Amino acid sequence: MNKKSKKTMEPIIQCKNLTHYYGKRLIYKDLNFSVPQGRILGLLGKNGTGKTTTINILSGYLQPQAGECKIFGEDITKMSPIMRKEIGLLIEGHVQYQFMNLQEIERFYAAFYPGKWKKEAYYALLEKLKVAPKQRISRMSCGQRSQVALGLILAQDPSLLILDDFSLGLDPGYRRLFVDYLREYATAENKTVFLTSHIIQDMERLVDDCILMDYGKILLQMPVDELLQTIRRYTMHIPEQQGIPQIAHHSLYHPNVLGNTLEFFSFLSLKEVQQELTKQNYYFTHLKAEKVGLEDAFIGLTGKY
Amino acid sequence: MIQALFYKEWIKTRWFLLVALLTIIGVTGYCILRVYRAGELNGMDHLWLVMLTRGVTFVELLQYLPLAIGGLLALVQFVPEMQKSCLKLTLHLPHSALATTYSMLLWGTLFLTLCFCISSGLLYGYLHTVFTTELWQQSLFTTFPWFLAGYMAYFLTSAICLEPTWKRRIGYCMMSLVLLHLFFLNHTAQAYNPLLPFLILLTLLTATFPWLSVLRFKAGCQD
Repeated sequence: MNKKSKKTMEPIIQCKNLTHYYGKRLIYKDLNFSVPQGRILGLLGKNGTGKTTTINILSGYLQPQAGECKIFGEDITKMSPIMRKEIGLLIEGHVQYQFMNLQEIERFYAAFYPGKWKKEAYYALLEKLKVAPKQRISRMSCGQRSQVALGLILAQDPSLLILDDFSLGLDPGYRRLFVDYLREYATAENKTVFLTSHIIQDMERLVDDCILMDYGKILLQMPVDELLQTIRRYTMHIPEQQGIPQIAHHSLYHPNVLGNTLEFFSFLSLKEVQQELTKQNYYFTHLKAEKVGLEDAFIGLTGKY
Repeated sequence: MIQALFYKEWIKTRWFLLVALLTIIGVTGYCILRVYRAGELNGMDHLWLVMLTRGVTFVELLQYLPLAIGGLLALVQFVPEMQKSCLKLTLHLPHSALATTYSMLLWGTLFLTLCFCISSGLLYGYLHTVFTTELWQQSLFTTFPWFLAGYMAYFLTSAICLEPTWKRRIGYCMMSLVLLHLFFLNHTAQAYNPLLPFLILLTLLTATFPWLSVLRFKAGCQD
C-alpha cells in the first residue's frame, strides 16, 4: 500500500477550542486539531466520544457551544455556497434521495457543478453494480447505495471529502471496493479526506493519519505508520497480588491483570519499560513487547469498556 | 440551479399533483353541475332568490379541499427530505440555503396557485353566464379565504415537517390548528371580505416558519 509523503501545507481543516455539550453532558472541551492538505485522516473513538458530533460540526449541521472550525480558511457556519462545491459529503448510512433513480440523481446533482461534473466517473463505478439506470435508490441494497454515494462524490470531484461512518452496513466485499476506490482516487488526485468508521481494519488500509478520541479529549493525533511503529503491547508474568506498577502517568495504557499475566500498552521502548520496572523493584518475568495492528492499538489505548 | 430543484420537487410530487389537480377540477366541476341541475329543476330565478335571501353560494364542497391539498402537498414534498436527514444533502448543495428552501416552497406555492386559479377560473367561467356580477362574486369571493387557508396549511405543514424536534412540531401543530381555524369561523357568504388583507398578511407571515425550522435543523437542535 503506497502512503503519500507528508506535505507541509496550509491545513484544509482547522478546529480551535471546540467545546460542545448535549444538555449537561460534556462531549469535549477545547478540542484542537487540523488536517493538512492531501492527507487521509481517520477519526477513531469509542461510541459517545464525539466522532459524529465532530462530523456534524464540520459539515455545518451542528453549532458548537464554543470554538471555531474553518475549512479552506472560511468559518464553516458562514461558508459560501461556492466553497461548498469543494466539499464532498457522505452522510452516515450512505443516505441519498430515496425517490430518485440512478439517472435522475446524477442529472440533479450535475446541474450544481457545471463545468466540473465528471459523469463518466459516476457511471464507471455504477457499471459494477449491475442495476438498471431507472432503478430507484429506495430499492437498492446498502452496498449498492454506498456505491451510488461514492460515485456521486467522485463525479463532484471535490478537494475535501467528509465521510461519516463510510463502512456502516456494508459487507466485506463492498467495504473493500469502497476503500480501494477511495484510496486510489484520493492518492491520485491529492484529495484531503476526513472520515470516521467503526471498522478499524478498513481505516488501517485507508488512512494516513489518525485522531484517537477519548471521552472529553483527543488522546493522540499522529500518522498511522508512526503510531504502529511506536506503540507496543507488553505482557509479563507477575506474582499474584503484586498489583499494577506505578510507572509515570500516561506511560501505561489500560493495564490489565489476568491471573499471573500483566498486559498493558505503551509508547515506551522495551528498555525503558525494563528500567522503569526495575527502578520500582517490581518483580516480573517473561517480559515481551510486540507490535500490534491498528485495531489492537485502538483497544489498547482506549480500553475495552 | 432552481430548475434542478424544481426537477427534484417534480420527481417527488408528480403523482400527487395529478391527483390533486383532478380532485379540485372534479369537485369544482361538481359544484358547477349542482348549480346547473338546480337551475334546470327550479329555475335560475329561484337560485338568485336563494342566494340573495339566504346567502347560499353553491361552493360549500370546496371549503376544506384547498386546506387538504396544501397540507398533503407539504407532506409529500418534505417528509422524504426528513427521512434519514436527507435535508442535509439538500442544504449541502452549493446554493444558498435560503434560496434552496424557498425554491422548494415556491414549487408548492406555484402548484397551489395553479389549482386555485383553475378552480376559480372554472367557477367564473360558468357562474358569470347564469348569475349577475354580485351573485357570482358572492360565490367566488367566498372561496378566497379557503384558498388562503390552503397556502397557510402548506407553509405550516412544511414548517412542521422541517422542524427537527418533536416538542416544537407539536407546538407548531397546535398553533396551526388555532390559525387555520380562523378561516372557518364564519360560514356566511363573503363574511371574510373585510378581513382578507389581514389574512393575506398572516399567511405571508407563516411563510417564514419553514425557514425558522431549517435554521434550527442547521444548528443541530435535538429533542
